[in-house]
Amino acid sequence: MSKTKELARHKRERTWMWIQLMPVMLVLTVLFGGALVLGVAQSLGFAPWFGVNTFPDFSYFAALWGDSFFWKSLGLTLYYAVAATLISLVLGILLALALVRTFPSKAFYKYLYKLPLMIPYTVGIALAVIMLGNGGMLSRLMAFTGFIDDPNQFPQILKTHMGWGIIAVYVWKQTPFVALTIYAVLLGVGRETEEAAAILGANKRQIFFQVTLPQILPGIISSTLIIFAFNIGAFEAPFILGGGFPDTLPVVAWRYFNDADYTLQLQGMATVVSIALVAGVILYSYLAFYRRYERRIGRS
Amino acid sequence: MTAVQLKGVRKSFGTFTAISKIDLDIKSGELVALLGPSGCGKTTTLRMIAGLEIPTDGQILFDKKDVSETAVQKRNVGMVFQRYALFPHMTVEKNVLFGLKVRGTDKAEMAQRLEDILEVVQLQQFRHRFPAQLSGGQMQRVAIARTLITNPSVLMMDEPLANLDTKLRGEMRRFIRDLQQRLGITTIFVTHDQIEAMELADRVAVIFDGNLAQYAAPDALYQQPNSIEIADFMGATNVFEAAITGKSATTAFGALSFATKAADGPAHVMLRGEAIDLHLTEPSGVQNQMQGQVTAREFFGANITYSVDCKGVRIQVTEQSRRMVDVGQDVWLTIPPDRIWIIQK
Ligand SMILES: Nc1ncnc2c1ncn2[C@@H]1O[C@H](COP(=O)(O)OP(=O)(O)OP(=O)(O)O)[C@@H](O)[C@H]1O
Ligand SMILES: [Mg+2]
Repeated sequence: MSKTKELARHKRERTWMWIQLMPVMLVLTVLFGGALVLGVAQSLGFAPWFGVNTFPDFSYFAALWGDSFFWKSLGLTLYYAVAATLISLVLGILLALALVRTFPSKAFYKYLYKLPLMIPYTVGIALAVIMLGNGGMLSRLMAFTGFIDDPNQFPQILKTHMGWGIIAVYVWKQTPFVALTIYAVLLGVGRETEEAAAILGANKRQIFFQVTLPQILPGIISSTLIIFAFNIGAFEAPFILGGGFPDTLPVVAWRYFNDADYTLQLQGMATVVSIALVAGVILYSYLAFYRRYERRIGRS
Repeated sequence: MTAVQLKGVRKSFGTFTAISKIDLDIKSGELVALLGPSGCGKTTTLRMIAGLEIPTDGQILFDKKDVSETAVQKRNVGMVFQRYALFPHMTVEKNVLFGLKVRGTDKAEMAQRLEDILEVVQLQQFRHRFPAQLSGGQMQRVAIARTLITNPSVLMMDEPLANLDTKLRGEMRRFIRDLQQRLGITTIFVTHDQIEAMELADRVAVIFDGNLAQYAAPDALYQQPNSIEIADFMGATNVFEAAITGKSATTAFGALSFATKAADGPAHVMLRGEAIDLHLTEPSGVQNQMQGQVTAREFFGANITYSVDCKGVRIQVTEQSRRMVDVGQDVWLTIPPDRIWIIQK
């Protein structure tokens, strides 16, 4: 075949590829990109539908970032997200490691652990209220068995800034997700490198940290990325189980959006954009850091 | 070095029995091949010696001491896996040093031993590569180096040459043999290639279906198999039914006299193709003559194999390609009595 013909065919193929991608691209650009642009524009004072148009106007960000409650909220948001992500990660890895070993009635446990994945967050939150609340099952049970004299003496788990309830719901829902991801990676990695390490004299800890962990890292990265991104933007759990003012940023944004003073919507939008910025910076650095590690160990 | 002994070892996975019963005695410094068809339990046997599987029954002894309770890490064995099992996230250097690092060996000694072993396996210029950037033969040498650097007292290799091309396989075979003789390590290697087993091993353990079928030196296994399955597996082509009376075996193509001991009754005779002489004229004064006609000829370069029809029985004769006998030619076959092997039922 001549070179020009080859080139023409190549061009046709590329055009066809673009045509096939069009629907997805359209949805992405219009729905997601458009919304993003509008959101950013609105947070910068562009909202003619409210009779406000002071674009570009950084005063909403200035007001938000200038207030110490914002930083407290950001701190809380990050604390809940990071704590829940780390706990889910550790529990998920332990669960996945257990699942690749053989033990009696393993098939049953393999179904059981996935249950929280199928139950909606709101149900999980309701369960947390029923179980962990001051008049909840756990407090009654402890009073019944005599650990405490009265259900009221049960320590406050929900509605505190320690966020035990929020973290518990996240962990309950996300541990199976992490386990599922890492279990799949572990199956691909196989037992042989661990066995080789054992024969070479490595103990259990050395095998885990030097042989297993580096190989399941891709699973760890992708699953923590997903759950962290969710946790930082999640609304229901901190709204229902949180400790009140200062709230997490998504709750703060929601309060602005619901304010009778609709110009506060712009402040709300500035909050949302701030969340996106923070999440973006953190996730990007995380990925960049991981890429550097991957290159160092020779993956490209 | 270490002598390894398996006493009545059995291994079941649930209801499936992978190893029925194996008794094996491996002397210190010996190179033993485990030979058998796919799925017969070779890898399982190695894994039990290494401590990766616990025998369901029986004992494994190192220098007469039961190691059943000894953890994998403490057995001081080395194993080259069927699929190498290199650490994909470590360079060649790090892979090789792993065993020393986890033992807490000091830096200077590690560096010294690394250089020595890389020299032995000729991998100096690949030291900074990752396993994914190596060829099969190079990966295998990394696997061997990684194992040898820890000075194991028993070295196990699971089909170490299976994934290599013919030339490299020959090179690696010589390499392993030299190394084993130099270091005198008790070595057990798995193969399903009988040629490889015979070339490398001091003794060969043939495993069929989870049972030790025969354990003998390569020449004994080749000349004197104790069952027709082994004869077949070792590539014997002329195995025929016979009736034994005294020192004579009566076959479909005549009576053969033999030298070995055998009890009267039905049995099989095995005639190795290269032990048979092919004559174009009727020889005189020679025992065990069979008359026949050449029906086919296969040329292998250095050797030729003729198929000779003797009273309706096809006998294969192999000789060096010094001459070519034509198909259709009438011939006489002879075989010395001491080259006939009787396989008793
Ligand atoms: N963990 C296990 N669970 C159940 N069955 C197993 C297990 N490991 C091995 N087996 C079975 O035991 C038998 C022997 O397996 P083994 O791996 O020892 O064979 P092999 O002789 O090494 O074969 P190959 O030459 O194909 O490597 C096979 O039938 C295999 O299916
Ligand atoms: Mg095998």
